Amino acid sequence: MAKKSPGEHKAAPMVEEVSDFEILELAVRELAIEKGLFTADDHRHFTEFAHSIGPLPAARLVAKAWLDPKFKKLALEDGVTASKEVGIDWLNPTGFGTPSDYTDLRVLEDTPTVKHVVVCTLCSCYPRPILGHSPEWYRTPNYRRRIVRWPRQVLSEFGLQLPENVEIRVEDSNQKCRFMVMPMRPDGTEDWSEEELAAIVTRDCLIGVALPRPDRKQNAQRPVHKAIHPVQHDH
Amino acid sequence: MNKSHHAQKATGKGDPQCFTGEAGPPKFKVGDRVRIKDLPDIFYTRCQVYTRGAVGEVAVVTHESPAPEDEAWDNVDRPEWFYIVRFKQSELWPDYPAAYANDTLQTEFSERWLEPV
Repeated sequence: MAKKSPGEHKAAPMVEEVSDFEILELAVRELAIEKGLFTADDHRHFTEFAHSIGPLPAARLVAKAWLDPKFKKLALEDGVTASKEVGIDWLNPTGFGTPSDYTDLRVLEDTPTVKHVVVCTLCSCYPRPILGHSPEWYRTPNYRRRIVRWPRQVLSEFGLQLPENVEIRVEDSNQKCRFMVMPMRPDGTEDWSEEELAAIVTRDCLIGVALPRPDRKQNAQRPVHKAIHPVQHDH
Repeated sequence: MNKSHHAQKATGKGDPQCFTGEAGPPKFKVGDRVRIKDLPDIFYTRCQVYTRGAVGEVAVVTHESPAPEDEAWDNVDRPEWFYIVRFKQSELWPDYPAAYANDTLQTEFSERWLEPV
């Protein structure tokens, strides 16, 4: 290897991988800003909002339905109206004038013999106003291609194995309807409050790849490990 | 040219609700057996190839909306009824395990894709 003199060495260029679709999004966004449809700050504000919302309203909707048969009926018949009772207005989900794309939420009720699981094989349809951003795996070709064809294998990779007599019903969300799953209320949650019940209805339960368990709460305390070399603040 | 007419139409009502009443009576009802047509889709479609030719049952009559094949080109003057159709998995995938004969898949179609069986 030839010896390099100091100053000759150049760092490898930083290469950021950008897909064609990201370039397309950037181009459309810049055009929209140039045309004055929205400002760069509007876009940033919306992105910040979109990343800050999560599945809690949907968990609340399920917990409420478990406790109140009348509300459950409403949720199954008219998901958009039921969403209002957990604070989500599909027509004005951000509160600052940005609409949802589409406004037809369907709640899929699991029974002892039917288990729903949601996918969008075309891309990434997801009930974002009530569930927040979809997880990364939900948008991968791997999940989208395989869950429709081998649902039992994919569910078992998520740790969910169901007996033969349970019908796995895959919902491929491809048009303007958006879907969330209402899992069955697990045993061991008798006398629980709405808040306690909502805590076990995690995001994955609402997509349908997991079942709620009384011992798995989405706001569970994580163990805090003491630092080996703690930072000293006394000087 | 004003291109915000779609957003204006949906404001306060929502999309697809803003197309309610524009498609006439639905051709199919819940429980009807239907076959998915194999129509050409040179430009844009949301009808999955894996459903073409398969026979299923209408599970939900959902709403009225322009078909995506039209809406993609801003042709919104001919809304159609949409249907969630339920298929046996074995109808879609010939090698689906017989042990799981109960398993199903649902997805949605605009009326043009369905023919009675």
